[in-house]
Amino acid sequence: MSEIRIDHVSRWFRNVVAVNDVTMTIGPGVTGLLGPNGAGKSTLIALMSGFLAPSAGSVTLDGAPLWRNERVYRQVGLVPEREALFEYLTGREFVVANAELQGLADPGAAAQRAIALIEMSDAQDREISTYSKGMRQRIKMASALVHDPPVLLLDEPFNGMDPRQRIHLMELIRTMGAEGRTVLFSSHILEEVEQVARQIEVVVAGRHAASGDFGAIRRLMTDRPNRFVLRTADDRLLASVLLADPSVRGARLRAEGGIELEASDFGRFSQVLPRLAREHGVRLLEVTPTDESLESVFSYLVSS
Amino acid sequence: MAVIETTGLTKTYPRVTALDHLDVTIGDGVTGLVGANGAGKSTLIKILLGLVPATSGGATVLGHDVASEGGLIRALVGYMPEHDCLPADVSASDLVVHLGQMSGLPYAAARERTSDVLRHVGLAEERYRPIGGYSTGMKQRVKLAQALVHDPRLVLLDEPTNGLDPAARDDMLGLVRRIGQEFGIAVLVTSHLLGELERVSDHVVILDSGRLLRSSATTDFLHATGSLLVEVQGRPDADKLLGQALVDAGLTARPAGGALIEVEVRDETTRDVVRDLTVDLGLGLVRMQDRHHRIEDVFREGVAGGVQPV
Amino acid sequence: MASSPSETPSGVIHDLGYRPYGGPRLGERAVSWSFFRTGLRNTYGLGRSARSKVLPMILLGLMLLPALILVGVLVQAKDLLDLDEQIVPYSTYPLTTQLLVSVFVAAQAPALVSRDLRFRTITLYLARPMRRSAYVLVRFASLTVATFVLVAAPLLLMYVGGLLADLPVGRETVRFLEAVAGAALLAACLAGLAAVVSALTIRRGLAVAAVIVVLLVSYTVVSAIQGISLEAGHDGVGQVAGIFSPYTLVNGVQVFLFDVPEATATPPEGTAMGLLYVGATVLTVLGSVAALLARYRRVSP
Repeated sequence: MSEIRIDHVSRWFRNVVAVNDVTMTIGPGVTGLLGPNGAGKSTLIALMSGFLAPSAGSVTLDGAPLWRNERVYRQVGLVPEREALFEYLTGREFVVANAELQGLADPGAAAQRAIALIEMSDAQDREISTYSKGMRQRIKMASALVHDPPVLLLDEPFNGMDPRQRIHLMELIRTMGAEGRTVLFSSHILEEVEQVARQIEVVVAGRHAASGDFGAIRRLMTDRPNRFVLRTADDRLLASVLLADPSVRGARLRAEGGIELEASDFGRFSQVLPRLAREHGVRLLEVTPTDESLESVFSYLVSS
Repeated sequence: MAVIETTGLTKTYPRVTALDHLDVTIGDGVTGLVGANGAGKSTLIKILLGLVPATSGGATVLGHDVASEGGLIRALVGYMPEHDCLPADVSASDLVVHLGQMSGLPYAAARERTSDVLRHVGLAEERYRPIGGYSTGMKQRVKLAQALVHDPRLVLLDEPTNGLDPAARDDMLGLVRRIGQEFGIAVLVTSHLLGELERVSDHVVILDSGRLLRSSATTDFLHATGSLLVEVQGRPDADKLLGQALVDAGLTARPAGGALIEVEVRDETTRDVVRDLTVDLGLGLVRMQDRHHRIEDVFREGVAGGVQPV
Repeated sequence: MASSPSETPSGVIHDLGYRPYGGPRLGERAVSWSFFRTGLRNTYGLGRSARSKVLPMILLGLMLLPALILVGVLVQAKDLLDLDEQIVPYSTYPLTTQLLVSVFVAAQAPALVSRDLRFRTITLYLARPMRRSAYVLVRFASLTVATFVLVAAPLLLMYVGGLLADLPVGRETVRFLEAVAGAALLAACLAGLAAVVSALTIRRGLAVAAVIVVLLVSYTVVSAIQGISLEAGHDGVGQVAGIFSPYTLVNGVQVFLFDVPEATATPPEGTAMGLLYVGATVLTVLGSVAALLARYRRVSP
């Protein structure tokens, strides 16, 4: 099943509470761990990989605690953020070394499989010092995958990658998730997360701010009216008609055309809109929910 | 007159070719620069500033030759480096005044312009405190201010949103846009985040392994595909319900990831059909947008029709 | 009160948008000069925080203090002690106070040199009209002049005091000017060495320590060798050793060129040795500048 359960976990370093009473469950598939810089994402990943012990609470994988538990280490692959690689080793040597550390029966073969998976078979005999950023990231992934772990944790894996490298890595992560592995990656760049993981966990200043599908999270924020931009064949008419409906908090005609609208009742508004448009013969050209993006959801969560 | 123009620009190092016969023209407004190879972008900037000689080929900036008029170019250009470059023990105000003078402004002018420029980038009283205590967002603003203080005709902004949180990134992107539109300064901005470039630039230049992959107006990248993305809600299977209804009505519709439906636009009545079917089914209409291409699609196409791992 | 004819209230809103600059833009020469002046002022903490003024000002004060005392004694007790010249010769004074000078150079060279490298502010300079080589030379010049001020100020004080004590004007003037020339050479050598060390060890604390070590150790070792060689009757060894510490080197040059009182155990004797000293001085200065230029050429913007 490979489910990581974080139960009322706190972790502090002297006066700094990096993780503050967080409870979450990470299951199979791809989950994005989001938060501003310094929110505690790296600390959480360190806790999940068994590198840190919680100061309070428990971190378990399928019920077994992760801290100082060698058996459980074998289930987890970690791709850390820092670039602490051994520059003088070749890619192959690096992955084999990790395979040996994991105590695998046939480290060479396992390494080859992992390297083939991340498509670095051609470059594996070059020294790591000659690798580009994307290649380093992939070789780190290979070493994290060499023992075929059901859980894969990646700390800011897209940092500084160029678009092509990023697309490739996203595909890889999606594939891992589709295979049924539990994949968690952290990021503070929402553009990256949006494309790979619809399931997100948001941490802000050490606290767990939200969890789930970000569209669904948005709709849970009932204290914030949902914003839309509409382009229609008759903005003024439709705006005046919509304003009459209680689900609409406000409507503004834009100088460049279109209606900026705030709806207090999302569900009701979405039904009222097409109905009233049809009734009054107004063609809808474009309907865009403007704060359903991950970025808006995120900034609402951070600022609340 | 082109702001930047390169002809056959090549720069080779012992182990790597950073720029490979690059021919590109960059004009006014905001131009985004994306690279699929880190070395190319930074090398290009150094050559444009006249700091590094090209191996072959040439370039002009604001009409001046980079090989022979480097000093003149640097007086007219502002550069915002990607890396940390601010000393910790001076205030933003003192630093920008000093750098303004280093760009050739007389002291009084440097002082005045510093005060204005710091206001434009959004630094308030913190400008008088030592830079060491600034947040990343504030430091980026200082870096931007020192690039603007001498009223350059062109600014080179290297990953200006690096390390910024979403709110600060929005602010920075807004600033970049203002510089290009209101201040009347040509902007070359690099980023590896394509969504940002889509928002902020008029024109995008894509480099790949030191060569020009594509250079077009942003709108060209984002041209419509001729389909709509539709999202409905009200029941768990709302998207399937509407999708089926659209097909039954003779339109081409298919699932598009998440709960989205992609509908091919047949004629101007297609949107009305979507609207009306939504009402008839008792569903709510959340989204109906033209589906655009994105800059990213260029990378998916690749050179030989497939994504090339780097 | 008669009411005025109706006036509509009026107001103005000024445009606070971006203003382009149409004023003069100074050329590389003026910019370099401004940069030189800023660097010079910064070494004494002027234009910087109050904290950065403390050390250099204290050192300056400590440099002047002994000179002040000497001058005081000279003026007051000249007849009593039958003094007809400076108690400490001009050219010897820097050697006597070398610890203070070394500390000054060790503290300020990193501030001028290491800082821009450490924080990579050098990029912001390189992206400006002033060329890389100009940056290096101006920084070197600022440090040299700052050190020169420190070394020469007490000499000036002594000179004035000497005049007040009615020492022969002509003679004192010549000696003073010779010592000033020596001060300039010393400043250049010290600045060069300190700048090179600071450019190589860009962490400030390390740079300060490294410069101190280089300057102190070199003098200690050289003096020891000179003392031993003197005892052993092998002056030549000691004389050659003298070129390996800027203090002994410059003093030796002054002995050779101006015949000043000797302040080291084995000053250079003969033309050959004297020319060796002069050559070594020139080499130290030019070599340091060359090393600096080479080091900065490797810096990537």
